[in-house]
Order: sequence, then C-alpha cells, then structure tokens
Amino acid sequence: MIRFEDVVVRYPRAPHPAVDGVTLDAPRGTVTAVVGPNGSGKSTLVGALLRMRPVERGAIRVDGEPLAALDRRAFARRVAVVPQRETLVFSLPVREYVALGRYPHEGAWRGAAADDDAAIDRAIALAGVAELAGRATHQLSGGEWQRARIARALAQGGDAIVLDEPTTFLDIAHEMAMFELFARLARDGKAVLLVSHQLNLVARFADVIVLLHHGHVAAAGAPSEVMRASVLEPVYDWPLVITRDPAVGAPALLPLRGRMR
Amino acid sequence: MVLLAALVVAAVAWGTVPLAPRAVALAVLGRGDPGTVAIVRALRLPRVALALLVGAGLGMSGAALQGSLRNALAEPYLLGVSGGAAVGAVVAVALGIDGAGVLPLFAFAGAALAIVTAILVARAAGGRADPRVLLMAGVIIGAFANAAIMVVLAGASPNTVRGALWWMMGSAAGADWAQVAWLAGYTALAGGALLWMARDIDVLSLGEEAAAALGVHVERSARRVYLVSSLLAAATVAAAGLVGFVGLVVPHLVRGAGVRRHRPLLAGAALAGAALVVAADLLARVAHPPAELPLGAVTAIVGVPFFLAQLRRLS
Amino acid sequence: MLSRIASLLIVLASLACGGRSAPATSAGTDDFGAPVRAGTARVPARIVSLNPTTTELLFAIGAGDRVVGRTHWDVWPDAARRVADLGPGLRPNVEAILARRPDLVVLYASADDRDAARRLADAGVPVIALKVDRIADFRRAALLLGAATGELARARLVADTVERSLARVRAATAALPRPTVFWHVWDAPIITIGRGSYLDELLDVAGGRNVYGDLAQPSPQVALEDIVRRDPDVILAGAAGAAQIRASVPWRAVGAVRRGRVLVVDTNLVGRPSVRMGEAAASIARLLHPGALP
Repeated sequence: MIRFEDVVVRYPRAPHPAVDGVTLDAPRGTVTAVVGPNGSGKSTLVGALLRMRPVERGAIRVDGEPLAALDRRAFARRVAVVPQRETLVFSLPVREYVALGRYPHEGAWRGAAADDDAAIDRAIALAGVAELAGRATHQLSGGEWQRARIARALAQGGDAIVLDEPTTFLDIAHEMAMFELFARLARDGKAVLLVSHQLNLVARFADVIVLLHHGHVAAAGAPSEVMRASVLEPVYDWPLVITRDPAVGAPALLPLRGRMR
Repeated sequence: MVLLAALVVAAVAWGTVPLAPRAVALAVLGRGDPGTVAIVRALRLPRVALALLVGAGLGMSGAALQGSLRNALAEPYLLGVSGGAAVGAVVAVALGIDGAGVLPLFAFAGAALAIVTAILVARAAGGRADPRVLLMAGVIIGAFANAAIMVVLAGASPNTVRGALWWMMGSAAGADWAQVAWLAGYTALAGGALLWMARDIDVLSLGEEAAAALGVHVERSARRVYLVSSLLAAATVAAAGLVGFVGLVVPHLVRGAGVRRHRPLLAGAALAGAALVVAADLLARVAHPPAELPLGAVTAIVGVPFFLAQLRRLS
Repeated sequence: MLSRIASLLIVLASLACGGRSAPATSAGTDDFGAPVRAGTARVPARIVSLNPTTTELLFAIGAGDRVVGRTHWDVWPDAARRVADLGPGLRPNVEAILARRPDLVVLYASADDRDAARRLADAGVPVIALKVDRIADFRRAALLLGAATGELARARLVADTVERSLARVRAATAALPRPTVFWHVWDAPIITIGRGSYLDELLDVAGGRNVYGDLAQPSPQVALEDIVRRDPDVILAGAAGAAQIRASVPWRAVGAVRRGRVLVVDTNLVGRPSVRMGEAAASIARLLHPGALP
C-alpha cells in the first residue's frame, strides 16, 4: 500500500544522506516494523512520507500513485501518520482532540457530520481511551496522551496507519494493548507501518521487520530471519543473545553486559 | 456581546465633555443643540466605531498568531509590524507630510514592508515556516526599526518628536467616517479570511509534523495565517497607531472562558478585543480632561493586571 | 522670582552708573545663575548665539558682524543666514562651537543645555544662558546682551522701541470687543497655549482672549470635544495646521471651522519673543480686528 522505492533523503548541507537507497513495502493486512539504531534513518522515512524531508532520489508511492501527485488532504484520508513529536501548547478536551482527526474529511465551513461522530466514537473505543474522553489534554499523563494521539489517527480512517515510536511512554499493559491493536488493525485489512525500538514486541507482533543501518536496509524479512545475533550485532554494535521466549514462541533478544574496556 | 453593547453606549454617552444622557440620545438622532450633535455624531460615534474595529482586528490577529505559532505569548505586532509602521509614521511626521490620509498610508506601507522582510529573512535563514526563526526575524526587524526611529527623531524639532511619540502611543482621536468605513471593510475581509482558516489553525497548533500528518500544507497554510494576521494588525496600526496588549491578552481571556476551537475563539477574541479597546478609549477620554490619554498607554495599564491574573492561574 | 528681580535691579543699578566707559564689572546673572561680565575692557569679538531670539537681538543691537555661529533655526535677519550653522540649538555640539573659537557663547537656558554650558565654561569660554519665554524676558535679555557686548545703549533703544510698538497695538485694540481665540499649535495630539505662555500674552496684547486661558501649563494637550464645547470665535494656526484643520472631517464639529474663521499666522514671526514682537502683535491684531490698525 505504501512503497518506498530506492529512496534517498539528504538533509541540506549534510555530507551523507540520512536515508540512502531504501526500498520498503508496507502492504495491507500486514504489520511492517522498521527498526534500527539511533540515527539509522527511521524517523527520516516517516518525515519523507509527510513531505517534510527532501527526497533526493527515488519514489514514494501510495497504492501505486506517486506521493507528489497526491493532494495532502487526500493522502491524509488514506494514510494516518502519528509522528514522534507533538507540542501541546493549548489544552483541548480529549474528544475535541481526537475529533481533529476528521480534519482531512471536513470542508472549510462544514461542521461535524454524523459519520464524523461515529468515526470519533469508534476511534476512542478502539484506542481504549473512553475513560479519558471527558478530560482535557493538559491533564493527561504522557502515556494517556500518546493513546489519545493514536485515537486521533484512527479517527482519520483510511487504509494505512504509520506510527513513529508509538509506545515510548506506555506501561506494559497499555503497550501490549497497543500492539494487540496494531495486529488487529492489520487483520482487519489495514497496512500498519511501525517504527519502534521495542525489538521483542516487534518480534512477536510484526509480520515483516526491516532493519535499517546508516540509511540502508541491512536486513528485511520475517522476524525469525531478522532476529538473529549475526544480523543484529553488527548493526547495534552490542553483544546480544537471541533466545526463543517460551510463552509465545517468538524470538526474544537479550542484550549482554557491556564489554569491559 | 452584551458587554460590548453596554460599553459602546457608555463610550458614546461619556467623554471629555459631560453631556446629559437625554441630550446624547437626541444627538444620536441628529436633534438638539448643534454643538452637542457635533460632539456626539462627528466626534464620539466615529471614534467609538474605530476603537471597536481596532479591538476586533487586534483580538483576532492575536488569537490567530498564537494558534499558528504555537506560542501563548505571540501578539499581532510580532512580525515587525509595530516597528515597520512606526518607522513609516515617523518618517511621514518628520517630512512634515500632513495630508489627511497620508500618514496612515505611510504607516501601513512601513508595516507591510516589515512583514515581508521578516518572512524573507526567516526563509533565508532556512526556517521555512519554523515559528522560532520567524519570531527572531520579527525581533530583529523591530530592533532595527527602533534604531531608525531614534535616528530620525534625534535631529527633529520638539513638536515633531511629540507628534511622533503621540502616534506611537496610539489614539482613536481624529477618527472620521471615511476611515471607519475603510477599516470596517478591511477588517471584515481579513477577519473573514481568518475565520475561514480557523480549522487550519486548530491543526497547526498541534505542531508541524502532526499538522502535516492531518493533511495541512504546513508552510503554505502557516504563511497565509501570518500574512493575513499581520496585515490586519497593520491596518489597525495605520488607523490608530500602536495599541499594545490587546492582541496578547484577549485570546487568553477568551480561552480562559473555555473556548478552544479557533472558529469560536477568533469570533470571541474579536468581541472581547472590541470591548477592551472601546473601554480603553472611554477611559482615555474621561481620565484627565481636557487632555486625552494615549490609547496604547491605557490598554497597557488595563492589560497588565489581566495578564498577571492569567499568569497566576497558569502556575 | 525674587532672585530675578534682584539681578534685574543689579543690572539696572550698574547700568545707571555704568555704560560704555565702566570697567569690567558684573552686569548681573544669567538664567543659570552665573554672573555676566560687562564687556567693556574686553568686548567679545567672536560670538556664538544658539537661540533665534538672541541671534536676532545681537544683530539688532549692532553686534551682528561679530556673530560667528548660529543654530539651524536662526534665519532672521537675512544677514544671519551667512553665519555658520552649528546645528539644532538644544544639546549643542560643543566641539563644533569651540571650532568657531568664540569668546562668548549665548545659550538657551534649558536643562538640556546645562551640560554644554558647563563644558564650555571649563574650556574657558564665557557663557550666557538666557531664557526668553515671556514678553518680560525680552528686555532683560536685551540688556544683559547689551552689557556683555558693550552695546548697552543700543540694547536699551531696541528694548524701548519694542515695548512702544507693543503698547501701540494694545492701545489700538483696548476698547474693542475681545473674540475668544483657539490657538492651534499642533494637530496630533492637539496642543494649544495656556496661561503660562508667550503666545497667550501676545494674544492679550493683540486684543484677543485665549479660550484656554484657564489652564496654567504653557502647552497643554486638549481634546477636540472640549474645543467644540468651548466654541471659540476664531482659530489661529500656522499654514500647515490650518490646512490640516480644513482637511479634517472631525474638526468641522467646531463652529469656527464651519464659519470659515480659521486664520493663518506666520509662525516664524509670532513663534517666540523677538525684536519683531511689535510686528507680531500687530499681525495678530489685524487678523482679529481688521481695520483697527493701519
């Protein structure tokens, strides 16, 4: 559904490109996870998708159409993106905040319509933030705010959802609930593209893992292929051991104690 | 709105010269002692109307800029508007240009030039629509303008200096219906544009990336808001000089009343701003007869305690 | 006030027994309180005058050829224009003054000039600071300058002539009804003249009554509404001010504007006390009372 074809992104006056020839496919019905160390280009990919980073070469396509040809609102109606950072200068009631997700569907003067309300209610329920709906965003904790943002992205509708580090502030219960939500969204037919540091959870829930290293794709494939010490250690530059977690049967990573210098 | 209506009535009824309420009512209709009619119809009504429009414009401009710049301390004069307008006006005063509508034109031209320069400077610094770079560009332009003003005033005659300072402190005196009509049209146009962009501002206030994710062309949209807001502010400056604090305080007051979405926020800021400036103009006229206080000084005096109250509420 | 009377008496006393042939004695104190030396033994030959009134006076008492520096605003008489222009009068550039090698500097006695006065005195240049704000100040200034430049007799003559011309105007208009006058000094803000000002005095001499004569400040700021209320018979303004009034819609609320009674005065002539005060008063009297004066 979303396809990056040999994309090169270079920041102005930078000696090396941040993304150096990445080809990546995020089809419908799949959870595709992009992982990699800091600075490997993961967030830059999301930025390029949002047209906020200059694409030097290559193409980004949504259902085959080049990104540049798509109207921004039309794109937002089909692909919901939850960026890593957001400011919260003015407080809003949480329901209002989620309702902003309907912006791509609104006209300049048209107010909320019935199907907007339905979409908002559905999004709030899916993201599990119903108990927060009556509060104001300034009153939310970091984790609650993150879930509200995901609710907003769900309210956008569309066939794809892209999330950049969506579970950083979440506790175990909420994090698991989120990953289960991603899996469910994929089962329901959405394309889920996820950037995450949480290698173990990614290994459990993702269908495809793409490992980035200095802007290249170092490895891509099913978790069992990518989650190997021989693959991960050179990229993360840290001694690792891969085991199989007994409960679910997915590969699990254990970082070893650091080398003595 | 009721408050605004009450203030308008009060502002017409009171003034430098005490007039009986009945006389005022009659004078509005054009009847009674010609002196009183002249005072009410030719002097008070136009200036109250001007004050109303200036307040509405500043309120909306401030609210729009605070939302789109994601900064609670943004205000209408941010992008060098006050500095540029002041330079224009001071140059006009110093050159002795005294045609009736010319000084406002100079002020507006100065403001427009400053706005464009601020945006260009920000773009040259690579900031695209980054609010911080834009804010800094505005500050730089403001500082430069102040320096220019001081240079011009240094060699000027005392009356020129007094006249320039008076303009810079803001005043609704000398308002006439032609000016009111012009400002009304302009405010309606710019205000309407801002109301149309209100939803965009809602989204812009979330941040560049979040706004882009929701389908806003961030750079274009933000620039549109900055331009319309600043030009609206420039029009108010051309009409009444520098009236500070209104654009900064009024959006906070309206937000404090629980209004969040920018469409009602802009409308509320227009009403509240109008009320504030009408009240300030009234105070300016009755505080120390037969002299008038400068409008900008009164809005500052009135605005500071409000602002302090807001700060206390925030912390 | 008392010290001024005292210094005036001293001046008069010393003049009564002095004159050109007296030795260099004190001729009184200037308006900064510094003593003024009568110039007889050493008559100043290079005078810098930083005030239109004193420049005029120096030319009028015959010391014009000794003036080597003036301010930008000193343009009367024509001969004054040939003198070096040293910039605006307030906060004068001391270096520029010293470059003219003066042996006497005449300043306007305002707080802005104290610093310059001190620095010039430190450089060994005699300074006289004069405040010529009211009609009465004129005689005192004339006599002090006369004493300092050794032209006391001429100075007395000038002062007497001016006073006689003022008296003539006053006499011509004394019996006539006095119109109320609004004097328009500046437009934004509207500034007029109060009781404490020279123009108020001049207006009185010319047979008019200042509609704001109840305000004690010399240059009060007033609101248009109040002017409408006071309803002056006549408005006096400079050419630029009159144009602004006529072009302005709000000003039409004032009866005098609607009746076309906005009269133009020559601001260069009437702006301040000067050797042409008699002429200034007469020009105003002719506007207020056409036909009363030849």
